[in-house]
Amino acid sequence: MRHWMIGLALVASCILPVAGQTPSTYKAPRSPHKDGKPDLNGIWQANNTANWNIQGQAARQGPILELGAAFSIPAGLGVVEGDEIPYQPWAAAKKKENAAKWLELDPEVKCYMPGVPRANYMPYPFQIVQTPTHILVAYEFASASRTIYMNSKEESPADTWMGWSRGRWEGDTLVVDVNSFNDQTWFDRAGNFHSEALHVVERYTPVSRDVLQYDVTIEDPKVFTRPWKMSMPLYRRAEKNAQLLEYKCVEFVEELMYGNLKKKP
Amino acid sequence: MAISRKSRNVGLTLAIAVTAAVSLNGQEKGPRTPWGDPDLQGIWSIATITPFERPSALADKAQLTEQEAAEAEKTFLKTQNQDRRDGAGTDADVALAYNDFWWDRGTKGVSSRQTSLVVDPPDGRVPALTAEGRARATARAARGYDSWQDRSLWERCITRGLPMIPGPYNNNYQILQTPDNVVILSEMIHDARIVPIDGRPHVGQSIRQWFGDSRGRWEGNTLVVDTTNFTDKVSYRGSTEGLHLIERFTRVDKDTVRYEFTIDDPATFTKKWTAAIPMARTDEQIYEYACHEGNYGMVNLLKGARAQEKAGGEK
Repeated sequence: MRHWMIGLALVASCILPVAGQTPSTYKAPRSPHKDGKPDLNGIWQANNTANWNIQGQAARQGPILELGAAFSIPAGLGVVEGDEIPYQPWAAAKKKENAAKWLELDPEVKCYMPGVPRANYMPYPFQIVQTPTHILVAYEFASASRTIYMNSKEESPADTWMGWSRGRWEGDTLVVDVNSFNDQTWFDRAGNFHSEALHVVERYTPVSRDVLQYDVTIEDPKVFTRPWKMSMPLYRRAEKNAQLLEYKCVEFVEELMYGNLKKKP
Repeated sequence: MAISRKSRNVGLTLAIAVTAAVSLNGQEKGPRTPWGDPDLQGIWSIATITPFERPSALADKAQLTEQEAAEAEKTFLKTQNQDRRDGAGTDADVALAYNDFWWDRGTKGVSSRQTSLVVDPPDGRVPALTAEGRARATARAARGYDSWQDRSLWERCITRGLPMIPGPYNNNYQILQTPDNVVILSEMIHDARIVPIDGRPHVGQSIRQWFGDSRGRWEGNTLVVDTTNFTDKVSYRGSTEGLHLIERFTRVDKDTVRYEFTIDDPATFTKKWTAAIPMARTDEQIYEYACHEGNYGMVNLLKGARAQEKAGGEK
């Protein structure tokens, strides 16, 4: 894992295109389903600090004294365009409060499904399984998953954790419109949040064999004053034997969530 | 599942790109993926009223006649009707609090009219447990409400696990295919089981998982999935981490995939056994099944047990 990260970091610093640059002339292999669309099948993972904080931040000490340097908080450049999130005043105050009560309030701590786009930049791989009508995105974290319905007009019958995803191809870019969220998920461990009015548009563009450029537009008129954007590369897990393993974290949080209800010896 | 029962959407019914059927080694033609594998894709339901093991009344009967099958369906629907309201206020009535709106057990027996889902051994019964298996079963039955660890993986919202067994609701599965993987997506509890079919070896023995580690291969028209590497925290009818699960998926007609599984765990069962369950095409969809995120059941169950102890202690 560590070697892989270092390897990627080196590669990334040399050859990766940056969002906003001229679109790549790379032509991705086509889907085995023979619908002429790019083949996005594979195991992918972000390699950044967005799950800590989608905005830039300096490194700082972690919340658990005993873990020292092993689990402190890394520095990162952030993934938000302009590094500014346009919160409405009340929402800026709530974000601060969330950050102060991170461990108590962050849904990740409780192993809740992480929502979109956070699921795509958590430090766990996810797998895209692509067919012409359904694209399944299976996440290692919490065994969360979502189905992207291609060229569908159907609305979600209910609010959801992972959103209701409808996709279409724009050239070689997979564009996914995601709505019908609940207001329970966060964008990161820094307390960045949204309401149930969240509307996410994701764009996945293959820019080389092992990199998808991932651009996201966030819109939530109840929380932000205008739409804003994040972007980052997603890297293929290129190990020959790469596969999703289980991170079924419910059992890691039961003591935390129900410990006070256990029979006392 | 309430949603899936109400909202049928033809618009999203899986439209599979199927190439012209090819005859492989003289075997029966069937739908094929564009790269030539048998096509199992779609949304399938394993709901059935056929009992898992053969009832003792049918001891010598492996298959029902058409008339008997129709009769059995009628009886089932009558006796299992959860909407009936008799003896208001009694425990029996309270037990019907989940009325038929919530259940999705199916209304039909399997089309083969077999009298049990267990097909081998031929008596349709799960073989006897080993002594060790019996001891584990006794320990399991003694579990109470001291901790979440005494409760089932289902109640804990961890997984419905393997193999796929018809339940009272959420019996829908979606199969997707690529040349390298077959994916079986289960609505409950949002488990996307990704089975590599590219010939790679199993992961190392030190990696034990709730779903084990699955590898698939095509044998003619049948997808054969071998699963090993189970964790000892998961148990099917008392099985151990040594369980070797073999599953077979065969598209037998447009609307049916035959699902067969064999349980091989000598530490638990005195012999291997096999069940066969038809998966029927459904026009319903898979929806998000958030379970842990709203597991008030676990909180209330433990709270209730603690309250009961306190009341008992004050007597």
